Amino acid sequence: MSGLAHYLEDEGLATVIVALVREHIVKMRPPRALWVPFELGRPFGTPGDGGLQRRVLQASLALLDKTLTAPHLEEFNEEAPIHDDSNWHFPGSLDNGGVLAEAASVMPIWRLARERIGRSTVGISGLPPQSAVEFIARFHDSEPMPNPQGMAPVSRARFAVDDIKAFYLEAAMAEGGQPSARQLHEWFWSGTLAGELLREFQQRARVSADKNLQLIAGSLVPAERTDWFLHGLKSPEQ
Amino acid sequence: MLKPLLLPAITPPRWVWVIDVVRLADIPEPERTVIADLACPVYADTSPVTPVAAALRHVAIVSTAGLIVRGERPMLANEAGYRAIAATVDDGDILCSHVSTNFDRTGFQQDLDVVLPRDRLRELEEEGSIGKAADTHYAFMGATSPVKLEDKARELGRSMLALGVNTVVLAPV
Repeated sequence: MSGLAHYLEDEGLATVIVALVREHIVKMRPPRALWVPFELGRPFGTPGDGGLQRRVLQASLALLDKTLTAPHLEEFNEEAPIHDDSNWHFPGSLDNGGVLAEAASVMPIWRLARERIGRSTVGISGLPPQSAVEFIARFHDSEPMPNPQGMAPVSRARFAVDDIKAFYLEAAMAEGGQPSARQLHEWFWSGTLAGELLREFQQRARVSADKNLQLIAGSLVPAERTDWFLHGLKSPEQ
Repeated sequence: MLKPLLLPAITPPRWVWVIDVVRLADIPEPERTVIADLACPVYADTSPVTPVAAALRHVAIVSTAGLIVRGERPMLANEAGYRAIAATVDDGDILCSHVSTNFDRTGFQQDLDVVLPRDRLRELEEEGSIGKAADTHYAFMGATSPVKLEDKARELGRSMLALGVNTVVLAPV
């Protein structure tokens, strides 16, 4: 991102960066940056807190009011507290009769979530949520899912994995509350058959003869949620 | 032509033990240091553009979340291009194709403005704190080598200037 700042300024645009990794700013010295102490993935703070988002945006634009002769880095002086919501629970019951049955039981809850939130981020693979689950579940079958839309199967698999996570995590927020990201991920990776499916898929991808599938294996499951991490085994990458 | 002074080999570590959803400061060592010490190009200091007065600012947001409009081909890892997201695109049609496990997307899933604060920008326009919120915002793919982005970044810069944009908020994830 700092590289973009250099290039855009060189073209004549004034830039400010809202930065999550201070160390990269220090190294790359863009003209103006505001470091924010938030979770990676949340540069403008807390979902639903328009006031905080606005203050971050205002603070970043305020850097343009300073007369600068050298790269300038400021710190945003508010935190976005991270805490679990002890009242949060998944708003429904999961069918444990297999991952496809489980996904079917998530569907009505996800629809409620989509209505409450007003949107959904599911769809990057181009597959409906339950089809994404089926696509991953059958990826190594002798009769894999049809994949007609031109996207390479490995790319579709990578995006289907993210769609599955989004499908479940959005459903988990159907009744609101303020569960932390850690809390939501703990539930997904430890409490669902879909989480188990993705770990199994990652294991298969790592030993696949398909080099492209091997390449994406490391980006499917957070390291701390992998079987070898949970069971104290040595990572295959080590 | 602006070029990095030094260009270290930008090779991501094969394995980074990143906990999925935390601030960098909360990631345990040695993983935190692996990320913080990621090789970055070193640039000569760029002379800052003299910003226009706040009331004249025409502001666009550029994200590195690999944002696309639903139905478009997702951006792939290390892709150098960018996508345009018009103001008329509904929030529900903005998807994230940066699918790294190294950052949290539950914030994005709940509220687009956590990543692309276009509602907040419109509010600043309405109250007169800025001149105009751009009609279009943009996204590159995160974790792509900054050097690889140069041509497209410059192309986008010229395109934004032609549209009257004079100020850019850059928002990595």
